[in-house]
Amino acid sequence: MTDRTPRRDPITEHLSDHGLLALVARGDRDAFARLYDLYAAPAYSLALRVVRDRDLAADVVQDAFLAIWNQASKFDSSRGQPSTWILTVTHHKAVDTVRREERRRAEAIDEARETPDASAPVEDQAWQGVAREQVRAAMSKLPDPHREVLELAYFAGYTQSQLAERLAVPIGTVKSRTFAAMNALRELLAASGMHPEQEWNTSTS
Amino acid sequence: MEHVDELIAAHALHALDPEDERAVEAHLAECERCRVQLREMQSVSAAIALSAPAAEPPAELRDRVMASIGPAVVSTAQHEEQPAGRRWSWWPRFSAVAVPVLAVAVLALAVWNVSLRNGQGSQDIAAVTSVGNVGSLVSYQSGDATLVGNLRPAPANHTYEAWVIPSGQSVPLAAGTFAGGDGISFTLTKHASPGDTIVITLEPGSGGPSPKGPAVAKTVLPA
Repeated sequence: MTDRTPRRDPITEHLSDHGLLALVARGDRDAFARLYDLYAAPAYSLALRVVRDRDLAADVVQDAFLAIWNQASKFDSSRGQPSTWILTVTHHKAVDTVRREERRRAEAIDEARETPDASAPVEDQAWQGVAREQVRAAMSKLPDPHREVLELAYFAGYTQSQLAERLAVPIGTVKSRTFAAMNALRELLAASGMHPEQEWNTSTS
Repeated sequence: MEHVDELIAAHALHALDPEDERAVEAHLAECERCRVQLREMQSVSAAIALSAPAAEPPAELRDRVMASIGPAVVSTAQHEEQPAGRRWSWWPRFSAVAVPVLAVAVLALAVWNVSLRNGQGSQDIAAVTSVGNVGSLVSYQSGDATLVGNLRPAPANHTYEAWVIPSGQSVPLAAGTFAGGDGISFTLTKHASPGDTIVITLEPGSGGPSPKGPAVAKTVLPA
């Protein structure tokens, strides 16, 4: 832990994500800060992977969290996990940014340095590290063409028709391959014990 | 609509072309089955996010984000539907006062319930010690110790394990495993005495006799 460790609020730190989001919907800034501390690192890592620029990635995360603050009261807790929602909002903003900036064509992926996330509470670090390894293991087991469509679509921001052009295959092939890849990944995650219907950050118990 | 399942997979990746996206949105508005399908696919795409290399957000970003939502009592776009001036006259005070009271009440109830279950009166409690970000450890004169609080559920194929490091020693003694979740009430399988250190770790598999995983919380019982 460094001096950048966020202040821990003794009340909000015991709440579940759903509990935090319910407080955020009522305008609770402490709960919002806690939600930020929990998910800023995975959101920023995702944004940086998509936009490949630290300043742009920070802008994306700021936009995403502002949207979460503004729309928390509309979040239907029966319909999914806050973490999925936060990452989905972040992903949309990152991809929209990259399409707007037309920056995504850089072919070489300059791997961001793996930095231990000093700002996240220690149990979240442990937790996210385990989840990350499980997802990476599942991704590595996908057939290459499956992994390729998922990475180009999700991280590089290609639409289906752009993918067809890039891969020189019919659009119908792209659609069926994307569908097959998502289902294969879901199966692999389930086989490794992650229940995709639930969430990457909940247990199977 | 043809191939809607295929399109929903691409929709969850935010990879539809604009025409397809409009068609899928229109279909989703009236098809519960496909909305369920989209939620499942979104949880898969959110998992893909985790395969990105881990990067640390700049420290000043937190301040920027907190500043962007405005000062504590000023509402911008968020509460347009709220009559101006009414909500903010009392909600902030509600969150500031009622929640801490609730949290204290929950802890008190948990301690009381644990005492009942263990067949011990509250007068037998030796100490209630804060355990990092988990909650509290209620230790009794008898040496029993019960952890109450909340921990994010352990990920698949992992478990939390408690350890007692007796005062003056360095070898942790395994003191039982638990799954985490809201409302933990876990009694250690080893007795703990004043001055002992209690550690909670996240262990692979079903845990073992010596810690392998990272520590998530630690406390020292008051001597």
